[in-house]
Amino acid sequence: MSIKFNDITKYYSNYKALDISECTIRAGAITGIIGPNGAGKSTLARILAGLDKADTGSIQYEGLLQAGDYNKKITMVFQKPYLLKTTVYKNIAYPLKIRGYDKKDIDSRVNNIINDMELQNIKYQKAWKLSGGEAQKAALARALIFNPSIVVLDEPTANIDPSSIAVMERMIRKAKEQLRSTIIIVTHNMHQAKRLCDDLIFMDKGKIVEKGESLQLIYDPRYETTKRFINGEL
Amino acid sequence: MEYILKGLTEAFSLLLSMDKEVYGIIFLSLYVSISATVLSTLIAVPSGILLGTIDFKGKKLVVRILYTFMSMPPVIAGLIIFLLLSRRGPLGFLGILFTPTAMIIAQTCLVTPIITGIVYNGTKEKGKLIGSLAKTLGANKLQALLMLICELRVNLLTGVITGLGRAISEVGAVMIVGGNIKGHTRVMTTTIAMLQGMGEYSTAIAIGLVLLLLAFTINSIIYHFQQVE
Ligand SMILES: Nc1ncnc2c1ncn2[C@@H]1O[C@H](COP(=O)(O)OP(=O)(O)OP(=O)(O)O)[C@@H](O)[C@H]1O
Ligand SMILES: [Mg+2]
Repeated sequence: MSIKFNDITKYYSNYKALDISECTIRAGAITGIIGPNGAGKSTLARILAGLDKADTGSIQYEGLLQAGDYNKKITMVFQKPYLLKTTVYKNIAYPLKIRGYDKKDIDSRVNNIINDMELQNIKYQKAWKLSGGEAQKAALARALIFNPSIVVLDEPTANIDPSSIAVMERMIRKAKEQLRSTIIIVTHNMHQAKRLCDDLIFMDKGKIVEKGESLQLIYDPRYETTKRFINGEL
Repeated sequence: MEYILKGLTEAFSLLLSMDKEVYGIIFLSLYVSISATVLSTLIAVPSGILLGTIDFKGKKLVVRILYTFMSMPPVIAGLIIFLLLSRRGPLGFLGILFTPTAMIIAQTCLVTPIITGIVYNGTKEKGKLIGSLAKTLGANKLQALLMLICELRVNLLTGVITGLGRAISEVGAVMIVGGNIKGHTRVMTTTIAMLQGMGEYSTAIAIGLVLLLLAFTINSIIYHFQQVE
């Protein structure tokens, strides 16, 4: 079981934003994507989440998705999350509502995740009154509420205070351990990559430079570019 | 100065005495403009959303034409409908020139581009993002459309209210296709234009006050909803 992709390219008019020959992401693991600004991380994340189409190449979600439930089992939290113009509660409840869960079931599930993520104080707050960090937490809760098989997170903890980062990382780990979700997380935070990720992919200029186990990639990278990025020289 | 004060006092007494003619004119204005706005909304909201979400060849040109029509002078809309509906025109057989129906049609032509343009702008701004979000949460096409409409609600309302404001305050179109016939096609703006020419200020001021009050109400509604979110 894994996500395999081959010969992925993506152009923005004439600019080649993505050029990946081959890569495999382990199922049930947390894979981090790191790399400098403009490396193509978000572009790849959107393609893996099925939101955009690559110009060439193919992606196989082996053993992870049936043909029909592509949309229903895969989710993504954007770099700048968008919350629906309603309360935090209703935002988190939305994926369950459209899946036809009954009210009582929705209520208990939503309350559970609200407690887990320490969102009680803003449960009935309107989305447009939230701080950036609160919105990011709510968006993560909304993505995890329906137990997706694949979760793509684009810098979910940028702008988040340390204690909230701990809460969010705990939720992400829980999704992996209890729900066996496959998680892909774009991050700029090397400490987070070390703490959270099983594998790491290092991207630069639209290409995957190196992929490996996180500790190995961080402490003993194969390539000079990777080393320079990790040492903050890129 | 004195004639203004006199006009104002008489205006208030006209309004308070429930003058039949004055209220008939106000009612017809509302009937014509609200009907036109409802019709326009039915056409413009789907068109605006569609234009904002799909890409096709020549879209840029369509948008530029739309923007041009958004600022179309009412007399032009009136003239076009007049030519179509006049006895020798292609739709002359309908025999509806100089009726409230003709006025509704003219105002619909005037208002539809305005609402379409506003809805298009809102959709263009948010449509892609909301489309992506709907996918990530597992919504189907219909649910995604409902989500989009729900998220654009302030924008849709702004469009509709702006359209209504435009319809109720224009003179040119209703004058040309309605003809300002007493008791039949005379509305607020045409009354003011006529009475002013005749030097009869009190009724003109009375109706002017009502128009101002309507404009104030309409803008307050928009303001309120834009503030809330
Ligand atoms: N919609 C777009 N149109 C044109 N160019 C784009 C678009 N989206 C991304 N790009 C370009 O593609 C390249 C990769 O962008 P991407 O957002 O994937 O980078 P990233 O690795 O996520 O960067 P960051 O760390 O800043 O989030 C950038 O050079 C960007 O300018
Ligand atoms: Mg990015």
